Amino acid sequence: MTHLAHLHCPSQRDPCMNHEKLPPTPVDQSDPARHVFGGQPVLTFGDEGQRRKFLRAAAVVGFGSTLVALSQRDKFALADATADDLEILNYALTLEYLEADFYTQGLDGGVLDGRDLELVTPIRDHEQEHVTVLTDTVKSLGGKPAAKPKFTYPDGTFDDKKTFLTTASTFEELGVTAYHGQVARINDGDILAAAASIAGVESRHAAVVADLLGGNPFPSSFEKNKSMKAVLKAAGPFIES
Amino acid sequence: MINRRDLIKGTAAVIPAAVGLQMLGTKWAFAADDFSGPVDVLNYALTLEYLEAEFYRQGNQADLLTGKAKTYLEDIQKDEEAHVVALKDTITSLGATPVAAPEVDFGAAFKSKASYLETAYTFENLGVSAYLGAAPSLLKEKGLLTAAASIFGVEARHAAILGVLGEKEAEGGVYNGAFEKPATRAAVLKAASPFLVKAQTL
Repeated sequence: MTHLAHLHCPSQRDPCMNHEKLPPTPVDQSDPARHVFGGQPVLTFGDEGQRRKFLRAAAVVGFGSTLVALSQRDKFALADATADDLEILNYALTLEYLEADFYTQGLDGGVLDGRDLELVTPIRDHEQEHVTVLTDTVKSLGGKPAAKPKFTYPDGTFDDKKTFLTTASTFEELGVTAYHGQVARINDGDILAAAASIAGVESRHAAVVADLLGGNPFPSSFEKNKSMKAVLKAAGPFIES
Repeated sequence: MINRRDLIKGTAAVIPAAVGLQMLGTKWAFAADDFSGPVDVLNYALTLEYLEAEFYRQGNQADLLTGKAKTYLEDIQKDEEAHVVALKDTITSLGATPVAAPEVDFGAAFKSKASYLETAYTFENLGVSAYLGAAPSLLKEKGLLTAAASIFGVEARHAAILGVLGEKEAEGGVYNGAFEKPATRAAVLKAASPFLVKAQTL
């Protein structure tokens, strides 16, 4: 029914201004590897090993298991929350675990100083707060919070500022598209408001990290979104177990 | 203990995890009452985007900036203009009438680079809070919600970068904690009213 649902700009800056009718770009359920991060595939699934990593990421999030958790949940839990909502919260939790772990290791590596350090330190703190709040929220709904996975990063990720921040940018942009991909799936108003309040902070992070790298903090007039499947595919290689 | 209403209105500086949880456990009292329906939310957003687009048009025309700041604020102007176009089209496609652009007066905002950046910073953070406050009113309108959220995220990017350009403290300047804070319609109108020539039903 809606036009606005389709207003995502397909490319960098100007298309929205030049088209009377904006091209339809629904939530992307297609193969993600091709378009993650502005058409520059950082992670592709060429082989069976990578596919298995994706499946492992999916298992970590706990597809299916949330249904059981929900049937046992306290009747006092949020009235409108559904199994989908729990799954989304555990999915978000897994991504926040990844970010929190990544920034903790990166900042421990000591490659940042001055204003860079000042701007990135709160990002780590935010991701840790997101982990705490999401964990508590899943519990309050009677669900089982996803366990913290063991993460792995390519060699040298934390050895210099540029590699650290480039990887950070990848994670932040992924996180933004992940939250925006779930907005329409959330059934409970409170969970929606909370998820949105986190998503906005991830957008701030993405912009700041892009600026620190000398990149473009405003790659589009509208945040893009990715399906859960697409995001887990991208995050899978960083999840060891 | 932080009062939940203070938290929702954005006056609480820090949200400890336990309070964040409490926030999730209760309905956002104001949201449903603030708007009469989806078109009302969209026209509210459109008014704010008109205000921002015109603000940057005038500010960039004043030629106060150079280098990276100039590039960034030109990009931001284009974003706001894109938001105006998209919101107007959407309201029209729903069979409703988009509100007209408000008459605005930005006073001394363009007197200096510093005042331009500071006012822009204020506008962007207000926009972020306004969208977040309105989000629950679009809960049942999934397509509109996704779209409004996609604008909200970009406003958050603008807000952060304006904090960087203004050389603000990281926490409490570039960022406002681990969670964005929603604002009520009344609070947003109050904050925007100095720039509106006529009284608005924002």
